Amino acid sequence: MIVPLISIILLAPLAAFAIFALLGLAKRNFPRQDYLSTVAMLAALGCSLLLIQEVVSDPKPITVEWLSLGSVTFSMGFYLDSVTVIMLIVVTLVSSLVHIFSIGYMHGDPRYSRFFAFLSLFSFSMLFLVVSDNLLGIYIGWELVGLCSYLLIGFWFEKDSAANACKKAFLTTRVGDIGMFIGMMMLFAEFGTLSLYGDSGIFEEVTTLESGQIAWLSVAGILIFCGAVGKSAQVPLHTWLPDAMEGPTPVSALIHAATMVAAGVYLVARMFPILTPTSSLVIAYVGGITALVAATIAIVRFDIKRVLAYSTVSQLGYMMLAIGAGSYVAGLFHLTTHAFFKALLFLGSGSVIHAFHAMHAHHDDEHAESDEHDDHSLVHEHGSEIPPDQDMRNMGGLRKKMPLTFITMLIATLSISGVPFVFSGFWSKDAILGGVLGQAMASNSPHYYILFGMALIAAGITAFYMFRLIFMTFFGEPRNQEMHDMAHESPWVMTVPLIVLAALSFPAVNILWFNENYIEPPPQHHIHSPQRVYVSPDSKTADANSGISLFGISEAEAAEDESGHDAEHASDGHHGHGPAHTIAMVLSICVAGLGILLSWLFYHKRRFSAEAVATTFRPAYNLFWNKYYFDEFYDGVLVALTVWKSRLFAGFDLSVVDGIVNGVGTVTRDVLAAFIGFFDNRVVDGLVNRVAAVTWSAGGRIRRIQTGAIQTYLFVVIGGIVLIILIFRLF
Amino acid sequence: MSLQHYLVISSILFSLGIFAVLTRKNAISILMGIELILNSCNLNFVAFSRFVTPAESIVGSEVFRFDGQIIAIFGIVLAAAEAAVFLAIILAIYREFGSIRPDEVDTLKG
Amino acid sequence: MEFTLKTFIFYGFALITIASALAVVTVRNIVHAAFALMVTLFGVAGLYVFLQADFLAATQVIVYVGGILVLILFGVMMTSGRLEMRIHIERGQLLLGGGISLALLMLLLTVIANTPIWKNLTDDGSPLTPTTKRIGELILNEKFLLPFEVVSVLLLVALIGAALISRKEVRD
Repeated sequence: MIVPLISIILLAPLAAFAIFALLGLAKRNFPRQDYLSTVAMLAALGCSLLLIQEVVSDPKPITVEWLSLGSVTFSMGFYLDSVTVIMLIVVTLVSSLVHIFSIGYMHGDPRYSRFFAFLSLFSFSMLFLVVSDNLLGIYIGWELVGLCSYLLIGFWFEKDSAANACKKAFLTTRVGDIGMFIGMMMLFAEFGTLSLYGDSGIFEEVTTLESGQIAWLSVAGILIFCGAVGKSAQVPLHTWLPDAMEGPTPVSALIHAATMVAAGVYLVARMFPILTPTSSLVIAYVGGITALVAATIAIVRFDIKRVLAYSTVSQLGYMMLAIGAGSYVAGLFHLTTHAFFKALLFLGSGSVIHAFHAMHAHHDDEHAESDEHDDHSLVHEHGSEIPPDQDMRNMGGLRKKMPLTFITMLIATLSISGVPFVFSGFWSKDAILGGVLGQAMASNSPHYYILFGMALIAAGITAFYMFRLIFMTFFGEPRNQEMHDMAHESPWVMTVPLIVLAALSFPAVNILWFNENYIEPPPQHHIHSPQRVYVSPDSKTADANSGISLFGISEAEAAEDESGHDAEHASDGHHGHGPAHTIAMVLSICVAGLGILLSWLFYHKRRFSAEAVATTFRPAYNLFWNKYYFDEFYDGVLVALTVWKSRLFAGFDLSVVDGIVNGVGTVTRDVLAAFIGFFDNRVVDGLVNRVAAVTWSAGGRIRRIQTGAIQTYLFVVIGGIVLIILIFRLF
Repeated sequence: MSLQHYLVISSILFSLGIFAVLTRKNAISILMGIELILNSCNLNFVAFSRFVTPAESIVGSEVFRFDGQIIAIFGIVLAAAEAAVFLAIILAIYREFGSIRPDEVDTLKG
Repeated sequence: MEFTLKTFIFYGFALITIASALAVVTVRNIVHAAFALMVTLFGVAGLYVFLQADFLAATQVIVYVGGILVLILFGVMMTSGRLEMRIHIERGQLLLGGGISLALLMLLLTVIANTPIWKNLTDDGSPLTPTTKRIGELILNEKFLLPFEVVSVLLLVALIGAALISRKEVRD
């Protein structure tokens, strides 16, 4: 059953895209591309759900030989384990809902069909990435989703900002992809294969390495993580993701919140067995820094989508931190919950924008040339041109206008902020915090205490800015009465996905994650140090099962299970046992509460003035407002360096290369050709002319022999005869 | 009076004829030179015929010594014809060029 | 070789012939030259007699002196004005022509001198027998009939040609 199901999952979206592409060749549109793509995604979703029971505890890769190069054979295949299936469900589910949402959101767009075709192509690419059992397949899917991201960010390519954003996204992720490719090649050079599973796969080969040989493995792991840094928008390659919000909001929800950016996390999780302590620590630090940096930037954003974008970056940092800290399950768990509630937040913001956008379009009709003027009037601060329909300063009081959107977004906000117990976000975030703290306590390493502190602060900030968003958007008085009057609740095709996603923000529907037997973290063979095992630092696995046996790990997990916890009734977190998780949970509840309280005071009660605080802490505010000057740094240093270098090379090209070419040309023309011309004119022609002249003058001389006088001839004749006879006589 | 005597006379006549042909500036003088040459030839023919008789010309006891003489007669006839044509040509040239100097008749000069 | 009258006459003829021939080529007056030529032709005719060719000698006198020489004199008179009566000779041409002629003569004399058999072929002293009858038979009846006819035609052609060429004007 597995093969037909996986075939349907992959081929249905691909077929939807292929129909569009083939009809596009015939210069025709499929009139209902939206339904076609949506049905294809729903079919994939159904098959994914069926797969839950198909995947047993002993997954085997399904591979076929793809191509042979010399003695090396590359295979293509699928590997289905519980993580894969969960990813499949997440992708297909979010993708289906986004498809449905887009039917309403994108209604009337001139490239409506193309949008759905691209969504289908993206879904296929993402699913292909997820199920691939080898790095080559993952890389192919990886680049395909990058391409789709590029296409969809730049979907409204008439806007310069969108065109620039898609280029930025593509190029920035490419920086990471190069690292990833190098890492892949290192593994390939060492093991001669790119397959991950199986008897000769990388994960099997890596067990044969001695602990003294793993320095290069750390490098390879970090390089592969570079790809994830680009794709998952980690610091320092995170700058493309906020700009990617230039794409349509459903795209932001699907690609830049739920799935593609999570692919980086998924990749790191997939490569979990080859991570060494060094590379793990690097990953954890990058994740932690990203979480904190992005959260602080999000505080001061006014563009509703930018806030969510930085929030996404921050949450992705969390996931990376979790995996880097060894909390494999927690990282993937957060990936799942985040996919749902962040997709919900984006779709909700899309609903708000849609409500305003209809008005805005109307507004444009009235003042055909006022668009630019409007933009300027609404942008008060430098550096960010916020479209008016995305500016939170134009919102407010939408609670009553858009009740369904409000309620569903509120649920998602509660979930992301870590409001305890009833929201899935709390459990996943707590699992991470507990995992990191547990790691810190077990290893007694200051690194993990620092990381825990960063994560905790980021959690508080997250709660603050998310509620800031809610308060500014839905509470208070309308700030822009004209826009407010035009706003309306979205049609059912948009609200139904919101409701479904809201339901997914409750732990009950994430039941798979709370089934300990369903997901097992793979072993990490090169993390021998006793403190570096898995999410439960206090479990017995630490010492006993740092080795090779998968069985031993399972045993360790089973040991954890004994403490017994189910999502419905467990109060101490998913993997959390003992003091670490308890402390983490208490602290996280505290910071979340503090964040919400502050946000309430600032933005709802207006007890404190945000402007006053901003004035007081002007340097920090400027730092956050300018996004830590990353873009300025890149523009000022990297771009400038590149431009300078390019100018240098251009100059080199123009002066040296062209100079050589032109010099050769000049030498050829002026010297060689001149010489040859001279030779031709003087020597060759001269020879010919000289021959002619000699002949001419010789003829002129010789013809005098022909005197016409008979006696001259007679002289010659008789003289000749005499001479001949004389000669014959003498000799 | 051996054959040698006649040959010497003939040679001298021949050389004188050649000399006249080469040096005279008058077409008629040249014609005279030619006549001298023809005479020397005829003399040679007759002399050889007189002193050197080919075997086949001896029929029975009679020795035929007339071949050279007859050829000489033909030569005289030729000389007559030649003189007639030569003088006709000289007359034509004279009418054309107003002169019979051979070095002035040089239409074929290259 | 005894010095007889016959020998004396022979040498006389030879001397007359050569001397007059020399006069032909050296005399500047063309009419004188023509008359010198006449003497030469007589001299040659005399030599023919010595060679037992009486008919030929007669023919020589009749045809040459009576025909050709008169023809030459006619030519002289028809073409030469008073100025043209004198023969112009260029010195360079004279020297060169003389040289070549002399060389030719030396050559011929050398050949003659170096061929002893010709020296030994002497006059056997046989009497002068009439040759006319025999020549007539040969020409008109025997082996020279065809050449004789051809020469006749040749003469005819030459006469017609000469007449045609020397005609005053050619009218079409």
